[in-house]
Amino acid sequence: MTTPRPGRRRLAALPAVAAGVLLAAGCSAGGSTIGQSSGGGGKSITVDMFYPSPPKAMLAKFTKQTGIKVNWVVIGWDDLQTKIAAAASSNTYYADATDVDWSRVGEYAKTGWFYPMNKWISPASLQSDVPQLDTFMVNGKLIGMPFDASFMVTTANTKDFKKAGVSAFPDTVTGLTAALKKLQKHGMATPMDIHFAAAEGLSTCWYQMTAAFGGQVLNAANTPQFTSPSSPGYQAMNWMVNAYRSGLVPKGNISEADYTGFTTEMAKNRVAMELCDYSGSVGSIYQVPSSSGVVNQVSYEPTPGATGAGANVANPDGIGIPKTAKDPAAAAEFIKWFTQTKNQAIWAGLDGPSGVITGFPLPMRLSSLSLLASSGKYAQAAELETLLREHAKAPFPQGAPPWYAQFSNSVYTNIHQAATGQESVKQAVRNIANQVAQLKASG
Amino acid sequence: MVFIAVLSFYPTVVTTIEAFFRVSPLDPPTRFNGLGNFRALFANSAITTSWVNTVVYAATGVVLSTVLGVAGAVALKRRFRLRGLVLAMVILPWALPAVDEAVIWNWMYDPNFGVINSTLRSLHLIGAYHVFLGLDRWLTVVLIEIVQVWQITPLSVLIILAALQAIPLDLYEAARVDGAGAWSAFRRVTLPLIRPAIAVAAVQAIVLSLNVFDQVYVMNGNAPLGSSLMLQTYITTFQDLNFGSGYALSLMVTVATVLLSAAALALIYRRAEAS
Repeated sequence: MTTPRPGRRRLAALPAVAAGVLLAAGCSAGGSTIGQSSGGGGKSITVDMFYPSPPKAMLAKFTKQTGIKVNWVVIGWDDLQTKIAAAASSNTYYADATDVDWSRVGEYAKTGWFYPMNKWISPASLQSDVPQLDTFMVNGKLIGMPFDASFMVTTANTKDFKKAGVSAFPDTVTGLTAALKKLQKHGMATPMDIHFAAAEGLSTCWYQMTAAFGGQVLNAANTPQFTSPSSPGYQAMNWMVNAYRSGLVPKGNISEADYTGFTTEMAKNRVAMELCDYSGSVGSIYQVPSSSGVVNQVSYEPTPGATGAGANVANPDGIGIPKTAKDPAAAAEFIKWFTQTKNQAIWAGLDGPSGVITGFPLPMRLSSLSLLASSGKYAQAAELETLLREHAKAPFPQGAPPWYAQFSNSVYTNIHQAATGQESVKQAVRNIANQVAQLKASG
Repeated sequence: MVFIAVLSFYPTVVTTIEAFFRVSPLDPPTRFNGLGNFRALFANSAITTSWVNTVVYAATGVVLSTVLGVAGAVALKRRFRLRGLVLAMVILPWALPAVDEAVIWNWMYDPNFGVINSTLRSLHLIGAYHVFLGLDRWLTVVLIEIVQVWQITPLSVLIILAALQAIPLDLYEAARVDGAGAWSAFRRVTLPLIRPAIAVAAVQAIVLSLNVFDQVYVMNGNAPLGSSLMLQTYITTFQDLNFGSGYALSLMVTVATVLLSAAALALIYRRAEAS
């Protein structure tokens, strides 16, 4: 998960340096063990994740079935990335299974920090049920197993749009711009949220809009596809920057990196749409009466593209087995259980609140979504299943490049600067392309 | 001694050596790189921007926290009602985690519901709410530095207050007998005697300002606009996995911290000893 909950990521990064240094020195770095099952036949694994644990009763059930005891350690996303890098560099054990973010797949494939999971899980058997599997594959190797199906979506307050005379949500960006101007005339000063802080959310939003415009940012050879003014990437950036500079987007978004800040604006009806929202937000945020003033007003809408509804970019989280794991086989056993069809549906609410993993966006299996849709326990499950099946596409179909972190840094820094007027879109595009050339040259 | 050697000396030596090597899990094997890491750092515009920003953070941080520290200490030296409560309130910003303070100030600066915007608007000083952070480089740096000064000044106050309270009252009495006024007594008695404390306060301000990270990260994110050297060290090392350059940057910050601290001590402390 590269972008969800950026606020959590931002704050969580603060003790990261210290944690990393401690870990590199061979100490056991911290985190809070919040889910621990008991019993079992002596095997024990540690799972380091930024997610809350599955319910204790479920973990206990797993222990009873397999004899494997699970110590689930929650650690902030940024801390975790630092921990993974520091531990791998110093060849130190820290967990048997941990997060494999889609954006780090290329990096891990190159560094060899994780076991390819093909030994335990057959990717071929999952292809039809897990649309985002390719995001975790590099040269046929499954670097991590996706365990949720977060992807970018467009959410809109249809009541606001109707009030402004827009009866059907626009499916092109031109139509969207016109509709947003109507909303402005009807009193909503800045109707659309887009991330513009120099953070991962801005990069991901650009990938999303590039996909919606019908393109991708890098091709299979990692060559920039956005340098021509007629390219989808260039046009997407231009449209985003213009939207900000022309006042369609709240000016404060330039420094707002906290995802909850955006959803709060939507929930309080200060904006009428989120362009790069996360799958699951309607059910888990906007439909919650205690914190939302827009219950039954917000829905998932197809993301507007250049000539019609565009694709949605996948943003899934994965789980993998680091090379320093003490018991890779037991970890694989757990991962298989964690990603089973029924369990995935349970994490999203199939068995009611007692089985839910807090903040779980969406099951990664279509079969799990079908279960949820037929149970009627998940807001717009059928619509999400369609979006996931037909529209969710990997931002880097060939896999994220090993130098993704530097690339993303260049992307968000330059788009941010274009939005603030420190450089033009043309310069931003040129700077990003130059950075790619340098990164490719340095291997 | 062993503790210091393991936790301080050894990492320093390793960092110093590896700063001259290409160390990156994305580009193995580790190999000698001479001054390559340093050259790359100076060619990186984000790093040079953060150097300039950090100089501004350090200069304003040291000057403001020291001046405010002296002023605060002088004010708190006098006995007055509720002095204990005021002292506790003064210490509070220093005692709070920097992250919490940055979050609180972020809310205050918020362009939608921040108290600063609402106050300025109710005073009719602004017509509409402003975006304070992230649009203008120097405004961003200044606003972040206010939070940094807010946090480091209380310790300066305490250090200088302790020195102030140790000055024998006889000296003031003697100065008064010699015809010295309040300002003259401050300049000729107080200031020379609290110089060692000012030196210590200045050094802590130098160390904290040169290593500012939390406030910058919370309030500015990864934007180069208000970036600091420590933030760039974090990005270079743990995001880019370029450990060699991270070591080089750490080494430069360490050297700068040591040199500036030594200069401050030499300038203030030795002059105090001489006087």
